[in-house]
Amino acid sequence: MHNRIKVKTNLWRGCCALLSCLLALAAAMARAQAPIDPALVAIPVGSVNLRVERSTPEQDMLDVGLAIFNPGIPLDEASHSILGIFPEIRKAESQFMPVLLRQVLLASGAWGVVRVLPDEQIISELLVTGKIRQSDGSRLELAIEARDATGRQWLDKTYVDVASALDYPATEGSDPYIDLYRQIANDLLEYRQGLDERELRTIRQVAFLRYAASLSEDAFGGYLQQDEQGIYSVVRLPAEGDPMIARVERIRDQEHLFVDTVDEQYVDLFDEMAPTYSLWRQYSRDQALYKEDYEARAQTKERIGRRGTFTAMEQTYNTYKQTKIQEQDLDEMATGFNNEVAPTVMEASGRVFRLSGNLNAQYNEWRGILREIFALETGLPAGS
Amino acid sequence: MNSSSLSRCTLTLVGLLCLCIAGCSSEPRKSSTVPNRADYQVDFSGFWELDYGQSDNIQVNLNGLVRDVQKQNRQRAQASGMYQQSSGGMLIGGPGTTNSGASVLGLAQMADLVTQSPLMEIVQDEHNIKVKREEDFALTCEFYLGQYHTVETPLGKEICGWNRHQLIFKMVLPEGLTIQHIMSLGPEGKWLNIATTVTSDRVTSPFTVNRVYARYEPTDDGYSCKQTISRGRVCTTESK
Repeated sequence: MHNRIKVKTNLWRGCCALLSCLLALAAAMARAQAPIDPALVAIPVGSVNLRVERSTPEQDMLDVGLAIFNPGIPLDEASHSILGIFPEIRKAESQFMPVLLRQVLLASGAWGVVRVLPDEQIISELLVTGKIRQSDGSRLELAIEARDATGRQWLDKTYVDVASALDYPATEGSDPYIDLYRQIANDLLEYRQGLDERELRTIRQVAFLRYAASLSEDAFGGYLQQDEQGIYSVVRLPAEGDPMIARVERIRDQEHLFVDTVDEQYVDLFDEMAPTYSLWRQYSRDQALYKEDYEARAQTKERIGRRGTFTAMEQTYNTYKQTKIQEQDLDEMATGFNNEVAPTVMEASGRVFRLSGNLNAQYNEWRGILREIFALETGLPAGS
Repeated sequence: MNSSSLSRCTLTLVGLLCLCIAGCSSEPRKSSTVPNRADYQVDFSGFWELDYGQSDNIQVNLNGLVRDVQKQNRQRAQASGMYQQSSGGMLIGGPGTTNSGASVLGLAQMADLVTQSPLMEIVQDEHNIKVKREEDFALTCEFYLGQYHTVETPLGKEICGWNRHQLIFKMVLPEGLTIQHIMSLGPEGKWLNIATTVTSDRVTSPFTVNRVYARYEPTDDGYSCKQTISRGRVCTTESK
């Protein structure tokens, strides 16, 4: 009898322990699967004043490359409408936003040449890349990363800004999310101010030598080394007056010529797109707010007619119909945006010299030509 | 209870708990897999106008619904031993608050309301369809990955997708109202049938009405228009 009670007690204890483990496991799984709300991670930047440097010494002024942003369009096309993503608009935004950031960086007076690049592989003294996480008339969320030529990471941060009714209509030259761009510019400036003259000089030297090594690894590869973290450092410098350096500089100038031509096109696109884009954001915000408000009112609205009668069913259907019409108006607007802006986007990416393909392909073709010229001049094998 | 039955009980409990955990941990699905292959898809694209002659007469269908409901009521009454000969007229009354005259008539009126569009334009490609209906909102569907597409809002839920050669749009709305449109194409693609079924939780039978549409070619006005953001609708003299 005593043994049976003991067995029962042990079984019961075992059962309880197993249940506790399973419940703990279930709780852990639930926690692990709970989506992280980005709004909890990134706080809106609020009102931001741009920090302006009146007299930056020329040697401190790094050149900045702003790669076209990743539009953040999910591969699963079925998710686009659920997430409220209009792919053509996102593609246009991915070219529009770096140009706006460029304007803000230039206005801060703290940087050298700021270029918008078709490709993030282009070696820059400071390269800024971005991904659009959310962009609509009410909220902009960008994931921004910045690295200098040595590979050191300056920024890896998500920026959020929210627009209010006061931000619309956006006047010419302004943007509802200008505070977000100013915050990025301020963060970059703050980081740069933390670097001393020697570190800034090293960044410029590494940028140049990495470019030279991309032309000819044999001739320039030995000037640099990379540590386990992938950070470049200068091992030695070329001799002053080295004619090879003059050639590299000339080729780099030619490459910059291409990038500047591309950059001009992005600026043209920005100017042409800005008024339409501004209207789109304003309308889409109005639509979203109206829909939200309508849905909230509809849910609490007093029902007319007894459930199941035509009056009650008609009210239910008409409420639904109204929200569908709002939603479809927004789709129509997106089509209007595409009709107006998409041809310009296409034109911008098909107009450089007589090279073929998109800007990326054109750039690669141009880079290939420059490397061949360099190899012919020096007799060295061409780099990658 | 001996130790072996206690063990069985424990195992059963653990099994149930595991099932519960599995159920809790799986994400809510937005789509369900259906035989939704591209080769079943039918091209509905084009302009369509309602052919009243070939479409159902709502009154006839309503009479049918009334007969159905009366029959159900009789069967229920017989089963409960309370059968009485109906005196005819517009009955009706069912279990609880169902099958009142207002609810049955309301269902037919709803079917009429949601199928009244005289003209439609359908735009369709490999993954999308948009059925633009005059005087109503457009029915839209995205068909990717061979799945039913589901969209949920606080005001209702939409499910759509292919069932072989038929395209189904279902709207589940608040207060027990469900509307389902099933589109199918007639021979040589000249006719389009839309079978609309309206269901209410206040009527024990659904109400179905068939609307038949015939193809038509809109006249070429000699100009074409497109929507823009800054200038609204812009038309040029270049014809379609």
